[in-house]
Amino acid sequence: MTKLGMVIDLNRCVGCQTCANACKMQNNVPMGMLWNRVLTEGSEEMDGVSGIYPHVKKKYIPVSCQHCENAPCVKVCPVGATYKAEDGRVLIDYDRCIGCRYCMAACPYNVRVFNWTEAVRHPGFNYGDSKVPVRKVGVVEKCSMCKERTDEGLDPMCVVCCPAEARTFGDLDDPNSEVSRLIREKNGETLLKEKGTKPQVYYLGLS
Amino acid sequence: MKNKANIYCWMGALGLLSLMGFGALGYQLVNGLGVTGMNNAVSWGLYITMFMFFVGLSAGGLIVSSSATVFNIPAFKVVAKPATILSTVCIMVAGIFIMVDIGSPERVLNLILHSQFKSPLMWDVCVITLYLTINVTYLYLMTRPSSDQKKLKVMSSIALPVAILVHSVTAWIFGLQIAREGWHSALMAPLFVASALDSGLALLIIVLVLLIKYKLFTVDKKLITSLAGLLVTCVAVDAYFVFSEILTMLYPQEESVMLVLDEMLKGSMAPFFWGEVILGFVIPLAILLFRKNREKTGLIIFSSVLIVIGVFFKRVWLLFTSFIYPHVEGAPGITLGKYLPGENPNVVPHFWLLHGQYAPTLIELMIVVGMIAFGTLLFIVLSRKILIEKAQETKRTNQNQSFESPTAV
Repeated sequence: MTKLGMVIDLNRCVGCQTCANACKMQNNVPMGMLWNRVLTEGSEEMDGVSGIYPHVKKKYIPVSCQHCENAPCVKVCPVGATYKAEDGRVLIDYDRCIGCRYCMAACPYNVRVFNWTEAVRHPGFNYGDSKVPVRKVGVVEKCSMCKERTDEGLDPMCVVCCPAEARTFGDLDDPNSEVSRLIREKNGETLLKEKGTKPQVYYLGLS
Repeated sequence: MKNKANIYCWMGALGLLSLMGFGALGYQLVNGLGVTGMNNAVSWGLYITMFMFFVGLSAGGLIVSSSATVFNIPAFKVVAKPATILSTVCIMVAGIFIMVDIGSPERVLNLILHSQFKSPLMWDVCVITLYLTINVTYLYLMTRPSSDQKKLKVMSSIALPVAILVHSVTAWIFGLQIAREGWHSALMAPLFVASALDSGLALLIIVLVLLIKYKLFTVDKKLITSLAGLLVTCVAVDAYFVFSEILTMLYPQEESVMLVLDEMLKGSMAPFFWGEVILGFVIPLAILLFRKNREKTGLIIFSSVLIVIGVFFKRVWLLFTSFIYPHVEGAPGITLGKYLPGENPNVVPHFWLLHGQYAPTLIELMIVVGMIAFGTLLFIVLSRKILIEKAQETKRTNQNQSFESPTAV
């Protein structure tokens, strides 16, 4: 079995937001929402610091769908529009979603976004990959680990574009894969471990 | 005659309000849920609050009318009809609020075509459908000229557990979620049943008194007193559950729980929380605990109205407090999901929320008021049809002395 996952090395992340924008461009994500957010920890402002001068530190943490093994969103979807694919990704069938937003309430990571209004795009055309389906008003969307790319054996766009090479994509079930090695050797941790959702996105240097 | 004109006036006003509501709903259907105040951080709003509220309100009716048969409380049997009508209308309004909240209502059939039974929302769809069916069948059986007592008894034996289940399942929609700190509690289901009972009973009492006032129905004053006695018990149980829940949250002083609790006790949700405690618990208990006060219709009505408001406040704090603090914190926070360009097209408008924020928009309020008006109108129409017919029938049968002789009394 394959279990697709990702490792993000926070010690490498420089908070440049490139992954957020690469994702937006690849997946045709409209204005006013993102599938992948780069958060600044311990501050009320982007690029702020935590602590009091001179004892300050700056830390970024990119957050998108964690593709949980025990995904709360999958369980609560009343129509099975959100599902766990065989390769371990959590995906959404945009043609089936009824827009009840139960999955948004169920996700502890707040990574799901809803099409509240007709999509606004700058520039005003579908700038995403032509293979990525266009979502209508009234459905939920989120990171698909760039399904359209990874299905063809390519890496997700955020992995490709990260200038700090902080992201690695691969099969968690394969002990010889790069992701498995990183998690093993560099102590990969998951977000909100205590919730027991078993995310498939691991962070290095999280704690 | 003046009475009749009065009712028509009310019906006209309610009709206009319903039209306004459906107009606003049309606007929402065309423009999407973006016309509401909901966003990616607070993804459920007033509609879901009203849904919870109305599921609860529907409790009083069916529980009173079915326990009349199940536990053989003949006194309650008298109000079985208006109680069941009320219950039916409330659960329909609750269903309407779910439909109103759905982002792609044209795909609502997917609930049947692709049912996924692991979802508590699916359970609720099933249980509410069952509940509505039972209510309607019950009403049908009661209004037959020769009401079959055996069938009624079977129906009410099913109705009572299903009523409890409806409130529990609605609670589990929230209580089974680990993502929201204030929801994940085993006490959620009993709490919902308790507040459903007190708000439902309170509404039933208000409605009965109004029916008497508009001469659609007559009830012995003693019955209102005994219903008030039942009401005060339910309020006490509800207050006890809330106290137990709050104490369990407060005592360990857990950091993430305290964030939520502080918001409730002294933050933005404090007016609703303390509003519930004072209006929903303290004042009604102070009044209704005394037997003497339970004989004064004015005081009973006053307390009942406060209880209904109190339970509404509970729905508000219950839903929203848990949306305020995201578990994964960090600037700039969560995207709003809406893009509202400002005056200067070169400046990207701010679309971030560090903490959950929500306020209903005018459209949302119009829809909510409209749907409530529609429900009230439906109730009046049904009551006039069923209760007046009944009044005439009993007159007729009283002459024959054969129909529905109060055997159980």
